[in-house]
This record gives sequence, C-alpha cells and structure tokens, in this order.
Amino acid sequence: MQTLLLWIVTLATLVVFAWRFGTRLQPLFSARPVNRLDRPGERFSGMLGDIGLHRRMLRFTYSGVLHAMIFSSFLVLFTAIIESFGSVLFPGFTLAPVGGETWIAILQETFALLILVGLGMAAYQRLIRKPARFEGSRKGDAILIYVLATGIVASMLLEFASAIAITGTPNPYRPVSSLLAALLGQVGVDGHAAETLHMSFYWAHVLIILGFLAYIPGSKHRHMFLAAPNIFLRPLHPKGQLPAVPTLEDEKTPSGIQSFSDFTWKDLLDPLTCTECGRCQSVCPAYAAGTPLSPKKLIMDLRDGMSTGEAHLPIVGGVISEDVLWSCTTCRACMEVCPVHIEHVPKIVEMRRTMVEAGTLEPMLQDALTSFQSQGNSFGKPAKQRARWIKGLSFKPVDARNQPVDVLWFVGDFASFDARAQELTRMVAELLHQAGVDFGILYDGERNSGNDVRRAGDEGLFELLAQQNIDTLAGCEFNRIMTTDPHSLNALKSEYPALGADYDVVHYSELLLDLISAGKLTPKQGAAAQVTYHDPCYLGRYNGGFDAPRDLIAALGHDLREMPRNRKNSFCCGAGGGRIWMDDSAFHERPSENRIKEALALGDVSYFVVSCPKDVVMYTAAIQNLGVEDRISVRDLAELVTESLE
Amino acid sequence: MKITVILRLEPVLTEELELTNDARDVDREWIGLDMNQFDDQALEQAILIKEQTGAEVVAIAIEDEGTDRMLKTALARGADTARLIPMDEYDVESRSSRAMAPIYAMAIRELEPDMVLVGVLSNADIYGELAPYLAAHLGWPQASAISQVTLGTGQVTLRQEYAGGRSARLALQLPAIAGLQTAAQPPRYVAGSKLRDLLKVQIPELNIEAVPGADLAEATTLALPDMSGAAEMIDGDAQEIANAIHALLEEKGFV
Repeated sequence: MQTLLLWIVTLATLVVFAWRFGTRLQPLFSARPVNRLDRPGERFSGMLGDIGLHRRMLRFTYSGVLHAMIFSSFLVLFTAIIESFGSVLFPGFTLAPVGGETWIAILQETFALLILVGLGMAAYQRLIRKPARFEGSRKGDAILIYVLATGIVASMLLEFASAIAITGTPNPYRPVSSLLAALLGQVGVDGHAAETLHMSFYWAHVLIILGFLAYIPGSKHRHMFLAAPNIFLRPLHPKGQLPAVPTLEDEKTPSGIQSFSDFTWKDLLDPLTCTECGRCQSVCPAYAAGTPLSPKKLIMDLRDGMSTGEAHLPIVGGVISEDVLWSCTTCRACMEVCPVHIEHVPKIVEMRRTMVEAGTLEPMLQDALTSFQSQGNSFGKPAKQRARWIKGLSFKPVDARNQPVDVLWFVGDFASFDARAQELTRMVAELLHQAGVDFGILYDGERNSGNDVRRAGDEGLFELLAQQNIDTLAGCEFNRIMTTDPHSLNALKSEYPALGADYDVVHYSELLLDLISAGKLTPKQGAAAQVTYHDPCYLGRYNGGFDAPRDLIAALGHDLREMPRNRKNSFCCGAGGGRIWMDDSAFHERPSENRIKEALALGDVSYFVVSCPKDVVMYTAAIQNLGVEDRISVRDLAELVTESLE
Repeated sequence: MKITVILRLEPVLTEELELTNDARDVDREWIGLDMNQFDDQALEQAILIKEQTGAEVVAIAIEDEGTDRMLKTALARGADTARLIPMDEYDVESRSSRAMAPIYAMAIRELEPDMVLVGVLSNADIYGELAPYLAAHLGWPQASAISQVTLGTGQVTLRQEYAGGRSARLALQLPAIAGLQTAAQPPRYVAGSKLRDLLKVQIPELNIEAVPGADLAEATTLALPDMSGAAEMIDGDAQEIANAIHALLEEKGFV
C-alpha cells in the first residue's frame, strides 16, 4: 500500500517537475545555434574545478564557505534520499550492505549538522547582513528554499530518531539521531507511538522532498540542475573576441534581437541558470555609478521575459530598456565573477547591435560613430591629422608603409589626437628612439582599431575599420605590433584573427620592460615613490597583462601598493565599450572618481600609475573633479620611465 | 515624383586651420572634407518625403576627395540612386556656387526631377547663392531657408523661416528648388553594416558638358579671426569669482 502510494506521488511529482522544467527550457529549442561542445576535456575539467573546488564561489569567503557546506552536505545526504525512496519503491532495497548503517550513517549525521549550520549562515546573510548585492533578488524564493531544505533535514533526523526510539537502543553510528531519540523517550514516545511517529516523519520527509522538487523549476534553485551544464558550456574562445552576429544559413541580413528565438540557446540557458547571487551587480561599475544597469537584473529580466512570454513587449527597449543597454562599459567584471559563467556582455552587445541597426542611438554616440564613418576616428579630426603628434619630436618616425621595421607601432585614437595623451605618445616615441628600437608608424593609414565601435554595437563599422587596418598592415613588413592602447591591443590580438589576420601584438609595458632588462634603457635608482597601479580592463581581465606593468614599476624602484580591487578584480574607469563617447552627466558617481577614492584610501600613495591613454584622460579628470590634485597625480608608465632616465 | 538632392563636401573648419601662402584660401594639406551639414538636412528631408510619399530620391555630387564615400552614405541613408559628376581638381579654378551652378543645372536637366533640395548655405557659400543661381539657370521658382516641405500635385508647399520665430508658408509650382535650413527630423544614423554592404557598389557617373561660371568676385585676402581680448579671465578664489560674475550679471541686467 505504502509502495503504491509512493509510486503514485513520486511519478506525479516527476511529471509536474518535467512539465515545469520543460516549459522553461522550451525557448532554447527554437533559438539560434552555437557550438559549445568543442574541447570537451577542457570543458569537463574546468567544470569540475569550478564546482568541486568552488574556485569562483570562494572569492566571496562567507557565502563561498556556506555554499560549500550546503553543497557537500547535499551530496552526502542524497544517500539518505536514495534510501528513503528506494526502500519503499523497491521493497527490500537498502544501502546497508555498502555501509548504509555504518560509515554512511555517520557521514549523514555529520553533514546533517553541517548543512543546518550552512543554512543558518545563509539565513543570517540574507536576513541580517543583507549585502547590497541581494538588492533586487527575490528574497521570498530564497527563504522558502531555506525552509524546505531545513524541513528535509529535520524530518530526516526525526525519522531516524523515531526509528531508534522504537527499540530505545541508541545507534553508535547515529549519535545525533540517538540524542533526539533519547529526548523523544523522555517525553514518552516509544514503542508503538514511536512507530507511528516514524511513519509520519518518513512521509513528511519524502513529501517535502517531492514538494521541493516540484518547486525547483520556477526557483533560482534551478541552478542545482543547470549550473554544471552552464559551466561546461562556457565560452572557450579568447576573452577579447566577441561572438559574431549569429546568422542562419538562409539569412541574408541578421534580424537583430526581435524575439527570444533570435538569441542563441546558450544566451537563453544563462538566465535560467542565474542564482540571483548578485556578485555581478556588486562588481559592476555602471551599477556603482547609479546607472539603471544591474547585470543581475538584466539577466533576471530576460529570464522573466522569456518564461512569461511577454510577447507584447519588444525585447530591446521593452523587456530591457535602452538606457540599461547603453550603460555597460563592457569591462567584463560581471562575467569574471559569475560562479555559473553567465555571459552578460555578449548579450548586451547583441542588443546594442539591434539598436544601432534600427538607428536608435545615444545622441553623443551617434556623433562619435558618424565621425568614425567619415574620418576614421572619434575626434572628428581629419584623418590627415592623425600623425600630427610627431611635431616636436627630436626625429621623424619611419613610415612603416614604405620601409620594413621590427616594431610597428599602432598608435590608436586617444594617443594620436587627445592633447594630454599626445605628450605621452611623444614620450614613448623618444624612449623607443633612445633605446634604438627599429620602429615605424602608419601615419594617416591608420584607422581606429574598432574595438569599442564593435562593443558599442556597430558591427559593420567595426568590420570596415578593421578591414582598412588589415589591408594597410598587409602592405607593411614588420615582426610585431606594439601599442600603448589596450583597446587597440585587444582588437589586433583577439578580434582581428577572426577576420583572418594574425599578429604578434605587445603592449608597451612589455616592450619597455624588455628594453630595461636588455640594458637598452637604464633607469636611475633612488627616486622611489609610493605608487599604486590601475589594471586597464582590456589589458588585464581581457588579455592577462597583469605582470609586465608591475615588473616595470618595480624595475624603476618604486614601491607598489595594491588597491583592494586589483588584477582580475580591477574596477573599470568607466570609458570602455563606447561609454567614453556617451553622456555621463546622470551618473551619481563616476567610476573613475570611485577608483581614485580607493587609491586615496591606501594612504601614502603619490602616483596613480596607468598604462592606457584613455585612463590618463579619465583619471586626470577624476582627480580634478575631486579636487585632490595636491594628494595624488596620474602617471603613465612612459612618464615614470622617462622621469627615471633624466 | 522625383527629388534630386545636391550634396557638397566642404572643409572641416572646426579644427585647427592654416591659410595658404597667398592667404586667399584655407590650406587643404592637413584638412579633411565632410558633408555640408545643410546638405545633410536636405538629404534627410528628401528621405522623409520618400518614406511618406514613395518619391524617388537621386543624390548627386561633384567629384572631390571623398565624394564616393559621401554618395554611398546617401544610398545607405535611403537614396534610390546616386550619381557622381566627374571633375578633375586641376580643371577648375573655383568651386564657388556661381562657378558650379551651370554644371549642377545641366545635371538637373538631365535627371528631370520635380523638386531639387539643397542645403541653404555652406562654409564656402555663406550667402546661400546656389539655390538662386540654379533657379536662374533653369528658370524655376525657388525659396531658401526652408524648414518644411510638403509635396502636392503640381506644387509644393514650403515653410520659410524668418528671424524672431516667424515663418511664411509659400506655394511653388513644380518643378522647384528649395534651399533647406532644417529637415523635419535630425539626420538619422546609418549602421556601418549598410555602408559595408555598399563597399563594392560602383557609383555611376553623370558626365556633364558644361562650362563653369566665372566668379564675379574673388577673395583678396583671408585672415583668421583675432581672438585676443574677446574674453576676460576672472581670477581669485571661488567667492571672489562668484562675486565678479554676479556683478557682471547685475550690470547686464540678467539678475
């Protein structure tokens, strides 16, 4: 009778579970294709590392630890679930022969306590500590999960306890349950009463489990099933390479994002996997600046839009507002921190592409992009003026289009046109000249690399700019490309290969370090200063260039004091992804100012060292806006090197 | 219904300028060319009319450095066809409106549009002479400083702007010429993908046998404006600067 009853409720629950899960997964089947099954070995080992070692989870210690406790306990207590269901569904089934009543039992007892502590910590975190990253997450869902999980564990322990209470003989392998049994005994529960109670707790246990199972598909707890596949299916292409516009074979012009089926299936799996943990939100410069963008809410809104089938709303400008999409700096901090490897940035860019195709642009961005179309740069300057910065140099740089060179210097827009950055560009030129580097530039043959144009959503313009550069470079002889601009570096190194161009690209931090190591430049020691260093997103997070700038600073004899957010956790200056061309007057606090405050909090730091021309512009302005020119000043690496040679 | 839009490239004057040695022109060595912003408005207005009425839009331009790209932009924006009028830079002494008007007029005769839209003025034509010159050559009615164009059967209704927010409504017999001040909407953005698709498109030429007009006047000398003394720098701390600004505003009667 019990067996039949359990079969009925179990099967009924599985049907409900499958139906609820299936309806949510349904949109994936009509979405666009993307290949995420290449390099299975690498995918699998990375997945094991992220789950088994909790690599990303533990970057947030408190929640990492509590999650590890709950997760490991769940694995152990799954044996109890098997025993509970197995013993009734298949009469005679028991784990006893493999240690179900000995070592497995003691593990179950231990981890039952551990999971209760973990759940307590989680509840404390959610209800008392309330970190800001939970802002916007569904609290009710989280609490219901705590209650159900606690119910499962408590009913399990009480089921064991009442079983022990029937005979009244404590089980040495079940100390916790035995203790509970003793308590039951004290209140007079034994023999027949204990049997009844055992039956009640058994059913409470299995019913809560089944309730939990039925509830999961609509809860953030779906990640129990989807986190592992989502991590397995993570992107393995270079971080700095945006996916191309997904186009079907029979499609001439891509439609952009008009419906959820215009996303790839992976784009739709991401929102279903989201745990609403808000780590992305906590590291997002746009969110910190008070813009309407929270990467977490963006993913949640996509998820809700896709499951409620909000057909009456357009996705771009409806489910996700245009403001939200224009706020992103594409700094990748969200993607780097997400424990389940959700890809926020490509989705944002894909939706920006849709806006650009429709001609609905942030007004200042429209001016900049129009200028790119006519002049090849965002400054609205004639292309002919690109190499004007060389006026005032002690020599005339070689035109790499006419003469073979060892190092081809791709100068970039900011370094070429911005007045403050131009000074540093001249410094770099003099340093290379002094060190005897055989280098040349492209003069007016260079165009903007297109890195940020692509991220602003103008795919066609990116291809035009990139192709012009690739064609120009094809006519030059050189061994490697050097650039001071991480954005150009990213395009040349990570984006252009997708267009069939492959170069050896180095950042000037590497080249200057090489020149010092080789004795071509000899810095004087002794003028050491306390400095801090800001990792540019497109050098660090995107291309792993963390060490060369630090080694260079050390080689110059300075004392580097790290800001709390450094390397992979660096905080964007706010200029990336085309944001530098857009209006930031609505920001509560500019990311660059937030960052300068972080540096000031270190105490005795006199230089804020940067290695990106955009950073020079952004942080010089931030220091002026904050009125702290007397406390800290911006130094580009080239300036530091030049000063140490004088 | 057919509309011809004349597009002109002009030197970008928002950047550093240098004059030629004889001080009679801007030195074009370092300078870039860009579409005249009033012609940009004319193009936008033509496309808007096309979208409302299904009119056919033909963009024309006289060859210069970058004309090809400009005409492709016009196609990307929605013009139906574009025609390039070949011109060797060494063959012409002047590209003034008076010099070019016979060439444009001949092109218009060839294309036989019902309406010609052109920017009201340009950096090189600050008095807005092109539309009137064309009207004289063709014997068509024209009006300048136009901010609204409504095409009807056999006639067009135009709104002509005056100072002080006043405007007049004019009805002209077609074919007619309008010098556009502003389109009904700001010029739209064309995604790079549309330009990319046009990369390999060849803009057809429109060969015109016409003699450029002679200039009646020529610049004897140009000078960069003297900017010294135009601004007064107020020194002092925030309080003193605020006081000085307040005093100035009071003196001018603003507060």
